[in-house]
Amino acid sequence: MSPRPGFVLEVDRSTPSTLFWHGEGFRLEKLPVGSRVLYAPEPFAALKDPDAAIRHALEHPLGDSQPLRSLLRPGMRLTIAFDDISLPLPPMRSPDVRQRVIEAVLDLAAAAGVDDVVLIAALALHRRMTDDELRHILGSRIFDAFAPHGLLWQHDAEDPSQLVHLGRTDEGEDVELNRRAVESDLLVYVNINLVAMDGGHKSVATGLASYKSLRHHHNVRTMRASKSFMDRHRSQLHTSNWRMGRLIAESGMRIFQIETTLNTDTFPAEFRFLQRREWEWSVRDRASFLAASSALDRTPPELARRIFHAVKAPHEMTSVQAGEVEAVHDRTLSMVHAQQLVHVDGQTDVLTMGLPYICPYNVNSIMNPILVACLGLGYFFNLYQGKPLVREGGVVILSHPTPWAFNPVHHPSYIDFFEQVLAETTDLLEIESKYEEAFATDPWYRHLYRTSYAYHGVHPFYMWYWCAHALEHVGRVIVVGGDRAAVRRLGFSPASTLADALEIASDVVGRDPTITHLHVPPLLIADVS
Amino acid sequence: MAARHRFLLTKPTRPVGVEPLPLERRLGVDYDTAWARRYPVRLARAMLLDDVTWPIVRLGASPRVFGREHLEPLEGPVIVTANHASHLDTTLLLCCLPPRIRHHAVVGAAADYFFDRRWKAALWAFSLGAIPMERVRVNRRSADLAAALIEEGWSLVIFPEGGRSPDGWGQEFKGGAAYLAKRCGVPVVPVHLRGTRAIAPKGSSQVRPGETEVRIGTPLWATEGEDARRFAARIEAAVALLADEAETDWWSARVRAASASTPPFRGPAASPWRRAWALPSSADPSARRSEQRAVREARSWPPEVVPK
Amino acid sequence: MRALVFERNLARFAASKVAAAVAGSGHGVGVGPLELLEIDPPDLPSQRWVRLAPRLSGICGSDLATLDGRSSRYFERIVSFPFVPGHEIVADATGGVFDGARVVVEPVLGCEARGIDPPCQACAGGHRGACEHLAFGDLAPGLQTGFCADTGGGWGAGLVAHESQLWAVPEGFTDEDAVMVEPTACAVHAACSAGLESGASVVVLGAGTLGLCTIASLRAFTLPGRLLAVAKHPEQRRLAAELGADLVVKPEETRRAARRLASTLALGPDGGRVERLAGGVDVVFDCVGSADSLEECLSIVRPGGEIVLVGMPGVVRLDLAPLWQREVRLRGAYAYGTELRPDGPRRTFELAFELVASAGLGRLVSAAYPLERYEEAVAHAAAAGRRGAEKIVFDLRRPARRRPGGAQEAPGPGGAKDEHGPGGAKDEHGPTGAPDHKESP
Repeated sequence: MSPRPGFVLEVDRSTPSTLFWHGEGFRLEKLPVGSRVLYAPEPFAALKDPDAAIRHALEHPLGDSQPLRSLLRPGMRLTIAFDDISLPLPPMRSPDVRQRVIEAVLDLAAAAGVDDVVLIAALALHRRMTDDELRHILGSRIFDAFAPHGLLWQHDAEDPSQLVHLGRTDEGEDVELNRRAVESDLLVYVNINLVAMDGGHKSVATGLASYKSLRHHHNVRTMRASKSFMDRHRSQLHTSNWRMGRLIAESGMRIFQIETTLNTDTFPAEFRFLQRREWEWSVRDRASFLAASSALDRTPPELARRIFHAVKAPHEMTSVQAGEVEAVHDRTLSMVHAQQLVHVDGQTDVLTMGLPYICPYNVNSIMNPILVACLGLGYFFNLYQGKPLVREGGVVILSHPTPWAFNPVHHPSYIDFFEQVLAETTDLLEIESKYEEAFATDPWYRHLYRTSYAYHGVHPFYMWYWCAHALEHVGRVIVVGGDRAAVRRLGFSPASTLADALEIASDVVGRDPTITHLHVPPLLIADVS
Repeated sequence: MAARHRFLLTKPTRPVGVEPLPLERRLGVDYDTAWARRYPVRLARAMLLDDVTWPIVRLGASPRVFGREHLEPLEGPVIVTANHASHLDTTLLLCCLPPRIRHHAVVGAAADYFFDRRWKAALWAFSLGAIPMERVRVNRRSADLAAALIEEGWSLVIFPEGGRSPDGWGQEFKGGAAYLAKRCGVPVVPVHLRGTRAIAPKGSSQVRPGETEVRIGTPLWATEGEDARRFAARIEAAVALLADEAETDWWSARVRAASASTPPFRGPAASPWRRAWALPSSADPSARRSEQRAVREARSWPPEVVPK
Repeated sequence: MRALVFERNLARFAASKVAAAVAGSGHGVGVGPLELLEIDPPDLPSQRWVRLAPRLSGICGSDLATLDGRSSRYFERIVSFPFVPGHEIVADATGGVFDGARVVVEPVLGCEARGIDPPCQACAGGHRGACEHLAFGDLAPGLQTGFCADTGGGWGAGLVAHESQLWAVPEGFTDEDAVMVEPTACAVHAACSAGLESGASVVVLGAGTLGLCTIASLRAFTLPGRLLAVAKHPEQRRLAAELGADLVVKPEETRRAARRLASTLALGPDGGRVERLAGGVDVVFDCVGSADSLEECLSIVRPGGEIVLVGMPGVVRLDLAPLWQREVRLRGAYAYGTELRPDGPRRTFELAFELVASAGLGRLVSAAYPLERYEEAVAHAAAAGRRGAEKIVFDLRRPARRRPGGAQEAPGPGGAKDEHGPGGAKDEHGPTGAPDHKESP
C-alpha cells in the first residue's frame, strides 16, 4: 500500500483526543470541535539497496561534475566533511546514512590510492561530539581507521590557524572557512536532509564557517526576513548562504556534494502509536500508550530523559544524489517536499503544538527553556511555505514542561544568557546590540567550545534569533504545563491546561478562534494558501 | 617486646656510614623461572589451564581449531610460532595445542613487559610457563636458556613479531625462532590466530566476547645452509598463507601461494587509514555481518601492492 | 523598670542552642537565658554619665547569634553577666550636656567611658572599636553597651551612657532614621576601611540590613567599578538595586555572575560547571558570616584580592588552601571609629548620619515590637529576609511620645493599630518612671 499523503483533519464530536507531545512524555488533549489537526504524510518506502544507490550516485553525478572515481588520484589532498549530531532527529539506528556514504567514498579513495584523507565534522559553532557519538555516526570501521591516527577532526571555529578568509560577497559578507577544507584538492560533503532548511550551499558556507562569517546571516534582521527559513526561495538566510556558496565555488574550491533524504519513519516499534493517527490506533497501540504514559509519570525526569535519548529512529534513506551543489540540492528538495508537504487552506487564529523532548541542539542532553522557545517558535513555527499557519497577531500555544534546568557541560553560555540577558530584556534587537559581542568573544566560552563539549558562547543568541520571525508575527505565546518562572523569563504566558491557555488567548483572538494543531513529529511542511 | 623494638615489625633502618648490602633483585631477563618448571608447579599450571582457563576461553572466544593433524606425527619438542595481535593469543594458543605439547611447553614473553615487577614475573611464570626473552637487543642469555630448555624436551611457544600488532596487520618476523630451530634441530609449527584482536585489542582495556579461529600449518624444518633470516621469512610466508586461508579457503590460498600472490602479511604500503581500510576483519561484527557480501564485492586490494 | 535580661545560665544556654537548631534560628528565646524582668535601673558610674530612656532599640545579627547560642566563646572575657542586650539605641537623655535631647548611642565602651587615662593607643587615635581595655577600668567587662552588666542596654526601659558615647539626633530625623545609625556605621566602617581602589569590582554577599547598608556605604563613600549584590529574597533584591547595586542576583547564580563581572575564566569538575574562578573580583564583602558564604567568597575573589568579613561570624570550618595559594587578604570589619577620608579624618558616626539621611535608610526598619512581645520580635528578626523585612526594633516609647510617620507596631492578636500621639518637638519627661526607679546619686 503506498504511503498516504498528509492531510488536515477537522475535529468533530467523533474525533478521539489528540496526542500532544509534552517533553519527555505525552498528553491527550480534547481540541474544540471545528479545530484542524495537521497530520504528516506517511513515510515513503526506503531504498531497497542503499549501498548500491550510493555507489550509483557517486558514479552518475548531477550537474556539472565528474564521477567521484575520476576525481580521485594518488597524492591528492582529500577532505570529507559531514553533518554533525544535530541530524537526524532522533538519531538513526546503526548503520547511519553517513557511515554508508563515507564508506563508499573511502572505498573509492582506497582503490585510487589516496593517502592524505581527513574527516571533518562540519559543526560550525555547535558542540564537539564525544567518541561514542562519532562512532555511532561513522561506524567502527571508519572511526578505528581515522581517529587513532588523528585524522578525524571536529571543526574548530575559534582557532585562527585553522581558518582562512576567502573574501567578501557583493553584500560585504565575510566568508571565512576551515583551512583544511579550503586547501584540499577535493572536498566531499556528506549531508543528511531532514528538513528543507539543510543542504545546498548552506552545508559548507555554514557548517565549516567561523563566527565572523556566520554573523552576517545569523542575525535578527536576516531571520525576520526569512519567511520561512524552510523555504529557500523566500529565506534571507538562504539567499545569504547562496551568495557565500557561489563565492566559494568561484574561489576555486572543488566541492563534491552528496545529499541524502530520509523518510519520516521516526519512531521504533514500541512508540509506533506516535507515528499513527489516533483513530487508527490498534489495541496494541493503545496499550503501549497507556503503559508508556503511566510509566513516564512515575519516572524521575533524569531517567525519563535518558530513556528517550536512547531511542533510535528507524529512518531510512529515500534518495541519494551527488555532484554539483545546486543541481544536487534541487533534487533533494523535491524529494523532501514530496515526503513532507501538506496542503492547508488558509491561516488560523491559534496554532497549537506539542513539543517533544529533542531538538537539534540537545541530543543526549536537557532541553532548556531557550531551546523550547527555539523548537516551537523557530523550527516548528517555520514549517511552512507561503504564509505562516497562524495569522498575524494570532496566538501560538506550546506544550512542554519547560524546566528551569540546563546542562552545564553542553550549554554553559545558555545559563548565563537565561540568567543575565533575558532577565534584563527579551527584545531581540536590544539583546543583539548589547550582549552578543561579549558572549561571542568571552574567553571561557571559547575555551569550553574548543576543549569541552560546549556550544559556542554566541549560540544561545542564535536560538533566540531563530524565533525572530515568529515573535514579530505572533500576538502572544502561551506555554501549557511549563515551569512558571521559566516561561515568564522567556516573556511568554504560563498556563496549566490547554483550556486555560485558550482562555488566556481569548484576550487576543476572542472567544471563538480558529484553532490548528500541528501534529509533529513526524515532520511535515504546511503549504498554506 | 615487639612493641618496644619497632624494627622487629618493620624494616630496620640502617645507620649512617654503613655500606648497604648489594641489591639482589633479579628481574627482567635475569629472572629465574626454573621453579615454575618443577613438577608440582607444572601440575598446578596444567590444572589451571585445563579446568579454569579453558572454559573461560571457550565461552568468551568460541575457538575453532584447524590443522591439529599436523602435530600428530611430531615427536619431541617443537617451536610454535604465531601472529600476535592480542594478549589473548598466548592463552588461546596454549589451550588449543594438544596436551603433549601444552603441558610441556614454555612461552617466550617480553622481558621488559612481563618481567619488570616481581609479582608479575611470578604470575606469568606460573600461569603460562613464561620465560623472559629480550626483544629489543639480541641477548645471549635468553637464547641460551631457550636452547637449553628445548634440548631438555620443552616445546617453545613464541611470537616472532616481537610484540602485538599496532594496527591489525602483521609485523616483520624476527629471527629468534628460526635461529633456535636451526640450533636445536627442531621443527617450527606456523599458526595463524584470527579474531583475537576484536576481543582484546591492543591499547584498549575493553574485552568483548567474539569468535576466534586457530589454524595450524605444516611444520617447517630449516634447510641445509639456510640462514636464520631466510628461514624467518619462510615462516612468515607460511603464516601469511594461513591468514589467506582464513579469509578465503584452502584451495584459493594455495593457488595464490603458488603464484606468489598471497596478500602480504604486513599489509599494504600505504597511509595508516588505507592500511586500516584494507584490514580483512572489521571491528564491528554486527555491521560486518550485514554488509559483508556487498563490501567484499565492492572492495579490491590496492593495485600496486599485488605483486606482478 | 522592665528590661530583657540575659543571665548566665549554662543549662538554659544549652537549651536555647538545641531549640534554635531544631526549630530554627530565633526560636531558642523561649527556653533560653533571656527573660523579661523587673530590675533596678543601673547606677551612674561617674559624673560624666547620663541616664537614657530608649525610644527605639534595634535587634542585630550579633544579638540573634547570642540568643541562638551560636556566638563564639571568645566573647566570654569581654562580656559580663547579667546584661541587658541592645546596642542600636535612640533614646531621650536626662542630665548632662544632652539633657532633654534625643541621642543615638555609640555603644563601644572604650577608655574614656571606662575612666582610663591615659587612653590606649587605639582610643587616642579615635579608633575606639580597637580599644585594648574592654575588660578593665571602672566598668565590668563589656565590649559595648548591651553586653555589660553595669550599663544596661537598649532592650530595657532605661540605661546609662558616658557623654562621649552620645550623638545628638539632627533635626528632621525620625526615630527610625536614628536607630539605623549604628548599623549603618558598621557598614560605613567596613566600606571605608577596605582597600578599595577606584574602579574595583566588588561583590556584596548577603542583603540583610548589614548587606544593604554596606551597598549604600560603598556607593556613597567609595568608587567601585561594578557592584554585584547577592540577595536571597525578592524584597532584598529590590532594595539592593535601589541602594546602588549595579547587578543583583540570587545566591545560586553568584559564581557565574561574578565570573562575568570579573571577565575571567572558571575552573570546575566538568566543562561548564563553575567551582571557582580562575581570576576573580577585587573585593568581596561577606555580610553573612557562615562557612558556606566564606567558601563562596574564596571561590570568587581574585588572587591578591580582599575579603572583608562584615557581620559577626560564628565558629566556622574553612579550607584555607585557596587563601594561601591566591594570597588573599581576609579582614574583619568590626564596629567603627574614625575613617580617613580625602578631606581628612572623620568619625564614622558622622558619616553614618549623613548616609542615613541621603540614602533614606530609615525605611529599612520594617517592624516594631513592645518588649513584652520579645519572642515574636526575635523570631521575626531571625526570619526577616524570608518575611520580607529588614530591621526589627523594640519600641519603648510610651503612647504619648510616638511621632507620626514612624514604624507601625506589629499588629497583635487584636489587630488594630495603635493611635499615634500628637507630634511635637520634644516630649516632656522628668525623672519619672516606675515607682522603683532610683535617682542617680
